[in-house]
Amino acid sequence: MIAPLSWLKEYVEITLTSKELREKLTEVGLGCEKITKTSDDTIFELEITPNRPDLLSIIGVAREIAAMENKSIRYPEPKTTLKPSSHLPGGKLLPLIIKTDPEINPRFTGVIVSGIKIGESPKWLKDKLSKMGQRSVNNIVDITNFVMLELGNPIHAFDYDKIEGNIMIVSQAKGGERFESVDEIVYRLPKGAVVISDREKIIDLCGIKGGKNSGTYNNTRNIFIRVPVEVPNLIRRTSVSLGLRSEASSIFERGVNADGTIDALKRCVDLILEIAGGEVASNLYDIKSQEFKPWKLKLRKERLNQILGIEIPVKRLMEILSALNLSPILTRDVVEVTIPTYRNDLKIEEDLIEEVARIYGYNNFSKTIPIGEIPTNQIPYFKDYRLDEKVKNILKACGFSEIYTYSLIAEKDLIEGINSQNLLRVDNPVSRDFEYLRPTLKINLLKALSQNKSNFKKINLFELGKVYFGKNLDTATETYFLSGISNSKSFLEIKGLLEKVFEDFGVKEDPAKYIEILNSDVICFEFDFSEFTKRIKLNKKFIPLPKYPPIVEDLSIVTREDVKTADIIAEMKSQSSLIYNISLLDQYKNSRTFHIVYQHKERNLTLEEVSKTREKILKSLREKFQASFKQ
Amino acid sequence: MEEELMQIKNSAVSMIIEAVDQKELEEIKLQFLGRSGRLTLTLKEITKLPKEKRPEIGILANDVKRVIEETLENQMSNLKSQKSHEIKKRIDTTAPGIKPNLGHLHPMTQVLYEVVEVFKSLGFQAADGPEIETDHYNFEALNIPKDHPARDTQQTLYLDTRNSKVTPGDIILRTQTSAMQGRIMEKVKPPLRVIVPGKNFRYEQVDASHGFEFWQVEGFLVDTNVRLTDLFGTIDYVLRKLMGKDVKLKFATTNFPFVEPGVDTYISCTVCGGRGCSFCKYSGWSEIMPAGMIHPNVLKAVGYNSQKVSGFAFAIGLSRLVTLRYQMDDLRLLTNPDMRILEQF
Repeated sequence: MIAPLSWLKEYVEITLTSKELREKLTEVGLGCEKITKTSDDTIFELEITPNRPDLLSIIGVAREIAAMENKSIRYPEPKTTLKPSSHLPGGKLLPLIIKTDPEINPRFTGVIVSGIKIGESPKWLKDKLSKMGQRSVNNIVDITNFVMLELGNPIHAFDYDKIEGNIMIVSQAKGGERFESVDEIVYRLPKGAVVISDREKIIDLCGIKGGKNSGTYNNTRNIFIRVPVEVPNLIRRTSVSLGLRSEASSIFERGVNADGTIDALKRCVDLILEIAGGEVASNLYDIKSQEFKPWKLKLRKERLNQILGIEIPVKRLMEILSALNLSPILTRDVVEVTIPTYRNDLKIEEDLIEEVARIYGYNNFSKTIPIGEIPTNQIPYFKDYRLDEKVKNILKACGFSEIYTYSLIAEKDLIEGINSQNLLRVDNPVSRDFEYLRPTLKINLLKALSQNKSNFKKINLFELGKVYFGKNLDTATETYFLSGISNSKSFLEIKGLLEKVFEDFGVKEDPAKYIEILNSDVICFEFDFSEFTKRIKLNKKFIPLPKYPPIVEDLSIVTREDVKTADIIAEMKSQSSLIYNISLLDQYKNSRTFHIVYQHKERNLTLEEVSKTREKILKSLREKFQASFKQ
Repeated sequence: MEEELMQIKNSAVSMIIEAVDQKELEEIKLQFLGRSGRLTLTLKEITKLPKEKRPEIGILANDVKRVIEETLENQMSNLKSQKSHEIKKRIDTTAPGIKPNLGHLHPMTQVLYEVVEVFKSLGFQAADGPEIETDHYNFEALNIPKDHPARDTQQTLYLDTRNSKVTPGDIILRTQTSAMQGRIMEKVKPPLRVIVPGKNFRYEQVDASHGFEFWQVEGFLVDTNVRLTDLFGTIDYVLRKLMGKDVKLKFATTNFPFVEPGVDTYISCTVCGGRGCSFCKYSGWSEIMPAGMIHPNVLKAVGYNSQKVSGFAFAIGLSRLVTLRYQMDDLRLLTNPDMRILEQF
């Protein structure tokens, strides 16, 4: 919402500087993003929250300033009574039949003005619209726009003579009807759109745009001015479905001031008679199924103070509520207020609590720390961030740097073996580059690797992030993967790193299957970290140190190269309980050197026991793997 | 006897002082203190002395032994430091050190851990929930029915429902971690103190301060007597812990359908120091932590009695917090895997 300072000042006295006004408006809820100083004015750009349609008008903004500054507001005084003129040609009213349905059009207010003269708007009007970023069209259109901007009730003027059969019928579109708007764009209407038709054609897309076929142009002489109340959902659905937004639709979908239609119509007619001439040529139409009257709400003082955490003095409380034009009446500990129809965001007690708090000023509140007991039960969906931290620290210590990448990836980036048919897809991606939910972190790691190649020789990167599976939404799942990529570490280095991770988390598994050699120098690893954390055992138990010294020796074994080291070690270990540990010390072609630690828990080992065990080992290796012992 | 002891002492000390390396010292030690060393042999002679003389000589002998040992030790450490000094002389100690090959944790991770720790100190537990979310938890349970204008402020990325039984629009990529309020509250009763860090998705044109994927930390507290001042106090405590105690904060009214009263928190822009820049839209302030008292409709939707319990909720813009923390002028730097960025953290 744009609000020129000069215009606001027509309704409320403003003594604050622009900067102070900006700060205070933001504090009470009209986020002021920008102030622009022009040669003769200061323009405020305000961000209006969806619950406050009343603030989409200058008078609404002025009312807020009046409330926060405790000032009074000057409304424009209506002159017309909307009674038909007594000077009509032949003394006759112009005929018009209106058929409407309060279910889809809760209020239809309007009047006919005849004998107007279309022309250019006066300078003051053009200037006002121009400050609001609006283009001047002609005096009638400009006046309807001006009154909407001023009072917040959208208004549309029809060329009365183009309404075939002098009839207006409000109904809902069946879907597919053609409609050309005043700005000459053709739409196919969605089912349910609320429209006005005359005897032959659709002349208005209610609450959103007028039709080209019934607009006011240079030859227009008689007009029908309509000030409606529309159903927010219906307007919103049509507006979203057509991708067509207007100032009117933003107001209607949030809820217009239902009791403001007559005042807006009077203001509009006043200005038309003054600027474009003419006379009121019909009775007032005001078709509605209910009275739109202010409603009452109760605010309990105790509840107010309990929720706010501070005690607002009664005098201040009443002052704030009065300043908001809520006519408060205090009886004992309850304040009864009357809500003006333009504040349809005020529906429950909590809404009133906010009103009091924001005018009191959020930055005037004291600050406290919650007093309740700290909950001790583990919550549903609990996540232990220490696990993430632990695994990331190991990777960091191994030289890997962490990246965060997008979950959404492009079809063109999919690597071999991944078919976009099997991926979850976004219907309305921001661009084709971010269309599919990634099933692996590898794709982005590979891109990251190549991005860094020009600046770095050794690249080690990892990511802990979500991946998503499912051929369709019925089977959709998501899980955290831990993946890394390296162009400078060997297979066994990566394996060792993962062994370290698995060991530290107490998971007994050979991680080799999680490692993939992509080409001669790029290796990556990837595993399901969510699933992994379900298997971890972090409870460590101290194992007492052996009381007796071990005997260690290195054994070199010659076998075929395709014999697996893990098999050799397993075979060796199975030979005796005296073998405490075996590790691979060195490997060259078909020869492998193992480091063996012999240990007895209760006594000193003898050399004889060791040599017997060694013989056993060599014998079994000979039989099983045709291995020989290298001296 | 006394003379002999003194002689031993003198010759040992002079030999020790002249020794040039550790090996020589070891030999000297053996020569005097070893099993058949000179001092050892002399001590054995003490038993042959008259009884009355023994204590006196004994004291002297121990003294000699102590002096030799101390001198040995001193000389040993002298030699060591001399050696280290000599080695150092051969090195250019002003050259840069060889650093261990450590990687770097992403700034988002580093800040997130701090956030989790700060909240842990206030009794909040962390939770994690789905990014593929239902319209119900993301909107409806948060008092945002279909056709509500507030949906405009959170443009949604919809998932393709082809070949599935899902009604289009029912399953989406979550636009806010607040979706977890309903999921958690419907399962347990208050008191609750929860934070939910996580990624959100919105149909949003990307610029320096907006992204279509961004991180938030949702938080909520529900108990029998939760006040607006508690919310202000918690935000103030947390942001000062995270951004430094001198950070400038201000609160403003705002509206989200799932809170009432609604609060927005602004932090003085660190990118420009509050002077105004493209990151803070030239306002000098950056919106960092929308919040509010949980709306009675949200409490009712999970079966809580809104007259008996109250609560507050907030969402920290984590991506924005990280950029503000390190004075980065563009959110997109956080998803850029350039190691020249990563290695700064």
